[in-house]
Amino acid sequence: MTKGFAIIMYSGEAEKFIPLGVLTQTAANLGVPVRIFVTGFAMLYFLKNKPEPRFSKEFEDFVPKIHEGMQKIKAPSWYDMLKDAKEIGDVKVYVCSLMAQVAGVSKEDMDPIVDEIVGATYFFKETADYEVIFI
Amino acid sequence: MSENIIKVDARGMACPGPISALTRAYRKAKNGDIIEILATDPGFKPDVQAWVERTKNELLELTEEGGVIKARIKVTAKKA
Repeated sequence: MTKGFAIIMYSGEAEKFIPLGVLTQTAANLGVPVRIFVTGFAMLYFLKNKPEPRFSKEFEDFVPKIHEGMQKIKAPSWYDMLKDAKEIGDVKVYVCSLMAQVAGVSKEDMDPIVDEIVGATYFFKETADYEVIFI
Repeated sequence: MSENIIKVDARGMACPGPISALTRAYRKAKNGDIIEILATDPGFKPDVQAWVERTKNELLELTEEGGVIKARIKVTAKKA
């Protein structure tokens, strides 16, 4: 089994946050460390003031079905899965310092789920032995 | 010696909910305890086997009846 997962969360599309939650929580359950590097449009959803979820255009017609299905199986939100994973395991959420600067936000604007604002160098060094997942 | 049985009802929970529920129970468990978990997630069977292998505990029973999967796990790998 891998030493850890380095998840680079780039996309801001709402459906891509589901695997982020599932993979992170699963790794935590197995005792595998996870470091998440939040960058790109994903960063907006790690702020205290989050925009409305936006699904990808080409699957827009499928969105109500996803909502319905998620409710039916009582699936927790990606945010709750991440929170849970942080409680259970060794999980850290980092926000890309470049994106934070681009958006003009600082640590105080971040959701409490965020551990730190860091640069890519720090992230790569910390996750040197990990497997990378790009979302 | 009587065994301490910890019951976890994860029926209706979707992946990875049942394994998270198991992990939570495991965190509080002691070596020698038995965790008895019920789940309906269709991926639970291979998932619980993988979890047991990874965490090096012991799977005593894995059965399915009427869509409900039951796993009994003996806690053996807790560090003192």
